[in-house]
Amino acid sequence: MIPESHFLMLGAALFSIGVFGVFTRRNAIGILMSIELILNAANINLITFSKFSASPDGLGQIFALFVIAIAAASAVVGLCLVISIYRNSKTILVNKINLMKW
Amino acid sequence: MMNGLIQLLSSHGISHDFIIKASFYFIAALTLVFALLVVLSRHIFHAAVYLAVVLIGIAGVYLYLDAEFLAVVQVLIYVGAIVTLFIFTVMLTADTDAGTFGGTLRRISAGALVSLAIFFILVRVINMVTIWKTAVAGASVNLSQLGKSLMTQYALPFEVISLISLAAMIGAIVIGKAEKR
Repeated sequence: MIPESHFLMLGAALFSIGVFGVFTRRNAIGILMSIELILNAANINLITFSKFSASPDGLGQIFALFVIAIAAASAVVGLCLVISIYRNSKTILVNKINLMKW
Repeated sequence: MMNGLIQLLSSHGISHDFIIKASFYFIAALTLVFALLVVLSRHIFHAAVYLAVVLIGIAGVYLYLDAEFLAVVQVLIYVGAIVTLFIFTVMLTADTDAGTFGGTLRRISAGALVSLAIFFILVRVINMVTIWKTAVAGASVNLSQLGKSLMTQYALPFEVISLISLAAMIGAIVIGKAEKR
């Protein structure tokens, strides 16, 4: 069967790709997508630990459910902010948004 | 159908274990390639479509971990709702310059440095812990067990999550409402 460490490595690789996206994307929507990648990497790890741990209560799966719910909420609010920023300043490139910079 | 396929292949001398392993590594590689495309593609709309592929691939990985319910939830909520939301937002905003990835070399190299450093540290840690190489998969959690513990032991967090969803909904309406001019 597939060893636990390979699932964890998949999670680590997805996490790193997400971090790279947060660093390099200039489009605010792209940054939100990279954050979704990071949250999914965390979910893979949670479910892996739940599967391979001795306790059979599936706590990791419940955690992952909560993470999915919070990710949905954060995506909704984040995208709403993006639309609001676009309405006000006609751009969503994060290096051009300097309303609160001084 | 899947079982029939596996039987057909094993009658030709390909073991069941090999099929499971090969399909897992294929799905994992596909997920990683499309995740890279999400991060690197120039058009943000393409990135949204690639993100859908990545999320479906992760749902497939959940199946290997015996988390069928979460695989279904992943497809329903992420691919059905969140990616749709991303695509709508992409359509409502204009990508004012084409090169979304065209950041400065400094930013790209800093991102590559940090993410590669994180990746190598994580891989080192994963390789260091020997129990993660030999751990045996436990019994799978069935759906009724999951629902029962959500309604009994974890009832309070469950209710808090519903409050958070409500707050997000109200917040989205308030922030997204067009201002009166």
